[in-house]
Amino acid sequence: MAEPAIFFEEVNQRQGEFHRRAFMMGGVAGLGVLGLAGRLAYLQLLETARFEKLAVSNQFNFKLVPPPRGLILDRNGVVLASNRPNFRLLVARDKGVDPQATLHTLAEFVPLDDSRQARLLRDISNAPKRSPVQVMEDMSWEQFSAINLRIPELPGVTADMGEVRVYPHGGAFAHVIGYVAKVNKEDLAPVGPNADPILLNPGFRIGRQGVEKAFDLQLRGKPGAHKVEVDANGREVREDTQGDIPAVPGQEIQLTLDADIQNRAMEVFGDESGAAVVMDCRSGDILCMFSGPSFDANRFVRGLSGAEYRQLANYERKPLFNKALTATYPPGSTFKTMVALAALEAGYDPKTVHVCNKAWAWGGRVWHCDEHHGAQDLHTAIATSCDIYFYQCALFVGPDKIADMARRFGLGDLFDIGIPGQKKGLVPDTAYKKRVFKKDPKWHPGETPSFGIGQGYTHLNPLQLCVMAARLANGEKALHPRLVKSIGGKELPVGSAFGDLPVDKAHIQFVRDAMKAVTTIGTAKATADMGLGDIKMAGKTGTAQGFNYNGGRGVHGTAGPWHLRDHAWFVAYAPYDDPRYAISVLIEHGGFGGAAAAPRAREIMRTTLLKDPEIRARVEKPMPMPQIPDDPSDSDRIPEPPTVIAPGPTGGLA
Amino acid sequence: MTVSALTRPGERDRLIVKFGEVDWVFGLTLFLIAGSGALMLFSIAGSSWDPWAAKHLARFGLCFAMMIMLAMVDLRVWFALAYPIYGLGLLLLLAVEAVGDVRLGAQRWLSVGGFSFQPSEVMKLGIVLALARYYHGASADRARLSWWLLVPAAMIGVPVLLVAHQPDLGTAMLIAMTGAAIVVLAGLSWRIIIAGITAALVAIPPFVMFVMHDYQRKRVLTFLDPENDPSGSGYHILQSMIALGSGGLLGKGYGLGSQSQLNFLPEKQTDFIFATLAEEFGFVGCVTVLAFYAAVIFMGLRTAYVSHSHFGRLAAAGVMATFTLYVLINGAMVMGLAPVVGVPMPMLSYGGTVMLTVMIGFGLVQSVRVHRYSEVTSGKGSLV
Repeated sequence: MAEPAIFFEEVNQRQGEFHRRAFMMGGVAGLGVLGLAGRLAYLQLLETARFEKLAVSNQFNFKLVPPPRGLILDRNGVVLASNRPNFRLLVARDKGVDPQATLHTLAEFVPLDDSRQARLLRDISNAPKRSPVQVMEDMSWEQFSAINLRIPELPGVTADMGEVRVYPHGGAFAHVIGYVAKVNKEDLAPVGPNADPILLNPGFRIGRQGVEKAFDLQLRGKPGAHKVEVDANGREVREDTQGDIPAVPGQEIQLTLDADIQNRAMEVFGDESGAAVVMDCRSGDILCMFSGPSFDANRFVRGLSGAEYRQLANYERKPLFNKALTATYPPGSTFKTMVALAALEAGYDPKTVHVCNKAWAWGGRVWHCDEHHGAQDLHTAIATSCDIYFYQCALFVGPDKIADMARRFGLGDLFDIGIPGQKKGLVPDTAYKKRVFKKDPKWHPGETPSFGIGQGYTHLNPLQLCVMAARLANGEKALHPRLVKSIGGKELPVGSAFGDLPVDKAHIQFVRDAMKAVTTIGTAKATADMGLGDIKMAGKTGTAQGFNYNGGRGVHGTAGPWHLRDHAWFVAYAPYDDPRYAISVLIEHGGFGGAAAAPRAREIMRTTLLKDPEIRARVEKPMPMPQIPDDPSDSDRIPEPPTVIAPGPTGGLA
Repeated sequence: MTVSALTRPGERDRLIVKFGEVDWVFGLTLFLIAGSGALMLFSIAGSSWDPWAAKHLARFGLCFAMMIMLAMVDLRVWFALAYPIYGLGLLLLLAVEAVGDVRLGAQRWLSVGGFSFQPSEVMKLGIVLALARYYHGASADRARLSWWLLVPAAMIGVPVLLVAHQPDLGTAMLIAMTGAAIVVLAGLSWRIIIAGITAALVAIPPFVMFVMHDYQRKRVLTFLDPENDPSGSGYHILQSMIALGSGGLLGKGYGLGSQSQLNFLPEKQTDFIFATLAEEFGFVGCVTVLAFYAAVIFMGLRTAYVSHSHFGRLAAAGVMATFTLYVLINGAMVMGLAPVVGVPMPMLSYGGTVMLTVMIGFGLVQSVRVHRYSEVTSGKGSLV
């Protein structure tokens, strides 16, 4: 062995060095192990809470459970919007799922054509992993069960039962209630209620119009959660029903509307374009708010195709508009009630006579009337709706007093009825002219006559005219309309709580008498009698030269193309002797108010009256029969007088 | 058996005497560690001996028997085979360079007749034996500071470069650090030690940026900022720390670790088994197992301490250095203190290769203990 000689000391030297170094290495190893123990202590003893939370968030997923949307009811509890079961088919992207093959297989069970498959495929690949995309909804029970049987062989596919909004009355309430529709990107907000992840749930719908939109949050409720244990791949391992958070159903909303009246309004409108509003003129409750033509809100819940939507949007009668609120029209002769009241307040003698020769020269031009009315006083001028009388009457009062009176009746006001879309319209006066017309700020005398017959700058919506009729009929209170009766069982304040109507009661009675004349001998003489015995309707017609959508001059009556015809108005209240209900009807381009609007108002009003049990009792009171001679065998009995239900307080306001 | 009996010539060579000289407490501690491993493997398989726990115990049994047999092998045989084993390791590394299988993007495996193994494992033992053999014959001066140090430097450098080229940076560093530990234990001058540590620290950043493969660099960068990519590379570290941290003092209970049972923990049966243990048995369980490891290291170093031959000392200490590095690196990785490198927790993790390597090493350690009084190169019975 050719090793170098190793001396004993050297061996000892090497051994000594090794022992020191080995001791040191032991120390280093010991320190290392202690370091690990220290780190463990930090992680396991000090940071436990944080990591426990992370472990739990790993372990459990919460699947959102959509809350049932709150019902919308009419004043009598008739369901206007509810939810029905909806069998849905969902596909999610996941490991080992070939969406294309899956869709191909699903097409054997449900109708999925190639273009739809292609679109869904794109949706699925754009959606986050394991977030389901709705492939089909409203499957039949047969389709649903057939697919459920095959679920084990179809990874990524779920068939579940969701809920979808349904409007049993179709189009009748479409404008007031609105509809729900799929959630758009624009609906999502980073904070606030629309940041709720439930909005991303397939099948979730958000309120788009009307009550559904205005009270979306109350109707929506609070989503619950279904607790599931998942593995690292996100697959469900186990359900944990104890950890479930139940969904809080949306609140029920009761409207003041009456489904029967609303449906009757839709019937009588037919294809006509326009709006009808009925109010209880003691409380201010809106019993009917219809805008025609309407559309089936149920179509919007599923989603309209572009073509369907364009058809609705481009139709000249504008079915998507809520004309009761959103559209304003010149009030025409209905406005004469306001002119008369303003005149009476200004000390105008109602016996003043003007003679109508169908034409009247004033201010360097000739002013026309529909007919040759002859000598008229204020009463007959309202009944016949004589324009020439009111030109002169308005000139007597002046624009500012008329405007002031009109505003006391709610014209030009916005009312808080809960739903959006009201247009304020306009009641002009000299201040308005000054403010808006910078080049010609003066109110010219020649503008007053047309103001006096509800033309000119004046334009109002049907709700405002109904409020006007209701305040006239009530006579005491400056009523406010109320549309939402209660939310989640909590009653909202009624509209009669808003204060008094600062108008002389005698003047109001004068105008009401004249309105009675309108429906008996005047422009709407066939409409006072509704076939309900002594219950009569009083009203005022209006025929307004329209601004039409396409511009150009209008034509009178029903002659000429539809879009150039006059707008027909009718405002009324009934019963005449005990005013309970007020109505305004607008038939857009309907021609004469007395011909187009008044008969429809009469039909709607009749339905309204018959829904009132006290009115019904008045109508159906037993006939006073002649006394039957006493039976001799029963002579000692005192005959009971026949029960007669006393008629309501008549002329209480006279 | 008395001391006087053992002083009789030839008495220590009797097999029964050798058998009694084996450190049985050491063996028992190893069994406790492997048993803990089997316990955890049983749990994460959903309370089943399949597929890991039973095999783990069976492997340990076989390896333990082998360790005892290797302990009986005379230290002079180990001494004689030191260079040949090292040489064989080098040859195999070269072979893997030429014809090795590519698995998971790295050329590490060599297949011989249906049996595949990683030659770098041979080198882990080979480097210990060869360096111990070299320093056995080197004077203290040569070991401290001389040009002769280039020889061990080359002995370490060549296999490290070959393994790093596969690329298996983890094993290369393990071999390098084991070699360095032996060089230091042999009495390297402090000046070189300090200079070396400084150079290594300075070299790390440019090494990470320019020499490493992309996936290696990503691992390092992820380690530095795990939150940066929690679902990608940072996922392993984060999930492991969640498992550890959520274990708390006493753990979630046996079989109830959500992180491991629901597969959030990656490589739960191998590299991250310690995290499984931590989750289900908490701080108490972890410290207990760490204490087992500390005991093994202590007993191994004591064996090195009492050896009469320089070869024996360095060989035993070298094996213990490798083992310690395994434990510390895996522990640090699981606890989020080191990048993810494929270093398992020896005896606890499932996996045959590492168990085999470590137990062969322990066979050498026990052989050093059994033959602690033998002179390797002189005196009666020398083979060399």
